[in-house]
Amino acid sequence: MAKRNKLEIVKDILKIIQDNHSIKPTPLLRRSNISSSRFKEYYSELLEKEFLKETYGKNKKITLTEKGQKYLEKYQTIINFIDEFEL
Amino acid sequence: MTGRAITGMGQGLGKFMTLGIGTEIIYSFVIIVCSLMIYFGTRELYNLTKHKGIKYFRLSFLFFALAYFFRSFIKIILFYFDIREIRLLLPVFGSVTLFIFMYFSAIAIFYLLYSVMWKKWKSKLAIYLFHLSALIISTTVLLFRTSLVYFTINLLLLIFIIFTVYTAYHQSKKKKSYNLYIIYLMLFIFWIFNIVDILVPSLLQTFQLFIYLFSLGIFLLIFYKVIRKTG
Repeated sequence: MAKRNKLEIVKDILKIIQDNHSIKPTPLLRRSNISSSRFKEYYSELLEKEFLKETYGKNKKITLTEKGQKYLEKYQTIINFIDEFEL
Repeated sequence: MTGRAITGMGQGLGKFMTLGIGTEIIYSFVIIVCSLMIYFGTRELYNLTKHKGIKYFRLSFLFFALAYFFRSFIKIILFYFDIREIRLLLPVFGSVTLFIFMYFSAIAIFYLLYSVMWKKWKSKLAIYLFHLSALIISTTVLLFRTSLVYFTINLLLLIFIIFTVYTAYHQSKKKKSYNLYIIYLMLFIFWIFNIVDILVPSLLQTFQLFIYLFSLGIFLLIFYKVIRKTG
């Protein structure tokens, strides 16, 4: 299996959240298929970029923001564009 | 303003109405609009990803737009006044415009090359080197106003471009990208013709229409490729 690049890992993380509507951090880490240190980096970056948000009820849960949804919608366009111009 | 200059402006105004300057303005306008549409059309993709390749790709077209703006500015001034009048009446203004044009031209070329090479040229030093090289190029053009210096600078730039595009193509994993590198190479070669056309106006006059049409075709092709991929 080819090594995933950053854009693909972000897409995978956001896709897991989207498929579950909201998810706890531990199952998200498990399903992301990356090391916990790298997960922390991605998680902080995605929070900072406002791609996802934390909600506090009985447990801490993670949900997608509108920007996160937009990323998923545009993902294929982004990849095609990068591919077309060898960026 | 001297009487000669006013007479010159009057004659220039007459010439302005002819096809020559009209073609010049349409040519610059289409390329500036294309470049700005590429820049603004890719803004969302960049905002979502902060991808370095996208960043330098869009910035290069922003600089192409700025360079073409200053290029058409120089062309219009040259249309109204001859070189001696410019040196006499607008010495600082003419020099500053030429400096900015050369600086933006060089940066546009370097940034587009960097957009395909950033994964290989990982060091941040590359960006500083580009700005330094652009500064050296524009200062040299300003200080040594001889055709030999202009040719040497553009020849060196061309050699660097051909070498980089050739390297990028050979390092590319996708052999289908051949067309892209040919388009980039043509864009750079014709952009250098555009620079020479400004620095030594009489040299390429015979081929001017061909250079304009070909340059327009390349920009429109890249613009088409961008809108096809971004929607």
